[in-house]
Amino acid sequence: MNELFSNLGLYLSRSFVQNALIVGVLIALCSSLLGVTLVLKRYSFIGDGLSHVAFGAMAVAAVMGLTNDMPLVLTVTVVCAVLLLRMGKNAKIKGDAAIAMISVGALAIGYLLMNIFNTGSSNLSGDVCSTLFGSTSILTLSTFDVWMCVILSVLVVLFFVLFYNKIFSVTFDESFARATGQRAGLYNLLIAIVIAVIIVVSMQLVGSLLISALVIFPALSAMRMFKSFKSVTICAAIVSVVCALIGLFTSILAGTPVGSTIVAADIVVFAIFSLLGAVTKRTA
Amino acid sequence: MKKLISLLFTALFVLSLAACSNGNTSQPAAPASSAVSETTAEIPATSPAATEPAAANQSAKSADGIDVDLTAMSSTMVYSDVLNMQQTPDEYIGKIVKMKGPFNVSEIGDNRYFACIIADATACCSTGIEFVWAGDHSYPEDYPKKDQEITVVGTFNTYMEGSSKYMQLKDAEVEF
Repeated sequence: MNELFSNLGLYLSRSFVQNALIVGVLIALCSSLLGVTLVLKRYSFIGDGLSHVAFGAMAVAAVMGLTNDMPLVLTVTVVCAVLLLRMGKNAKIKGDAAIAMISVGALAIGYLLMNIFNTGSSNLSGDVCSTLFGSTSILTLSTFDVWMCVILSVLVVLFFVLFYNKIFSVTFDESFARATGQRAGLYNLLIAIVIAVIIVVSMQLVGSLLISALVIFPALSAMRMFKSFKSVTICAAIVSVVCALIGLFTSILAGTPVGSTIVAADIVVFAIFSLLGAVTKRTA
Repeated sequence: MKKLISLLFTALFVLSLAACSNGNTSQPAAPASSAVSETTAEIPATSPAATEPAAANQSAKSADGIDVDLTAMSSTMVYSDVLNMQQTPDEYIGKIVKMKGPFNVSEIGDNRYFACIIADATACCSTGIEFVWAGDHSYPEDYPKKDQEITVVGTFNTYMEGSSKYMQLKDAEVEF
């Protein structure tokens, strides 16, 4: 046990581990805040679709030789998020089909481009593995990535705090919000942009295939225990941050992949909360 | 009951955040083996300029004076540390690095490069770190056989060859 703590102390003295912890906590916080809205609006799968779009954009950035791919990936993902939302109910390709189409299309094209333009000098398997499953990418962040994550996270939290009441009304009854003169379309658009931002930032932590877990698991866990929007949101944020920290510490100590370890922690917490929820329901 | 559980999770959250602070880094990690500890004592001192690690990446030294002990780390940390060495080599210059893995040699033109292969956490590929053995040693008599497991302790350094920057462990002590 002593050796474990001394190893942990040694690891924590490394700047890239400190960066990973800061970014991990911020990403977990942001993803859980909007997660509640996404789950309630039945948009859980949009995160998955957008993360695949982000993977495709990342592949294009790699092919173009961009050392900093964040601006391109962010722009493409935000545009796709807005397009998906703006397609509307009267579009020829309906919402779920459009998400599925863009999702697998971007994933396939991204991997295809990376293979065709791979010069042999880069570690293609490692890059793809890291991008899809977030095996170690959060432990290899550049200073720019860290600052970008911090700024975007602050913006997301500010958006959530400032527009809390609007998000609440749009989430529960969009028609009522429209009837009372609120610009539901605008707030939906803003939510889509913020979701895209969260997806791009979260890719660093868990990889593009596991992002949905980071978004929906904390919200679902909190919903097992609490009923009001506010308490569910607060609980989801706490659960998400705690799971991210447990996952990160376990990963660096036991040598397991970062992304899947965090998701495993989320699954365990979900199981515990489901059990606790059932017990408290019976005792109430 | 719900309030109690909420309180419990708030306390857990605060505790986990407290864990983010720097641990007791002065606590040295246990040396991997006594034999290697003896070897590291013989490592020649590096130049003052080279021994100043970048403040941004300062790490605690172990009892045997090793800054980055890749042999005592988890596979995730090894992969991340090696990748960070490649991405930000300047932050590692002058640090004493210890590594373990199969020996490899490659000959390009008139030059011969000796390396220790570091296993990859993603299990798809490995990275070789070049080393320059301190003292006079002739190849192949004094060197280990290819793929034989070796332990290398040396000072991290970078050098330019053509337009490319390469990393190596100089003044290295090799055990096999």
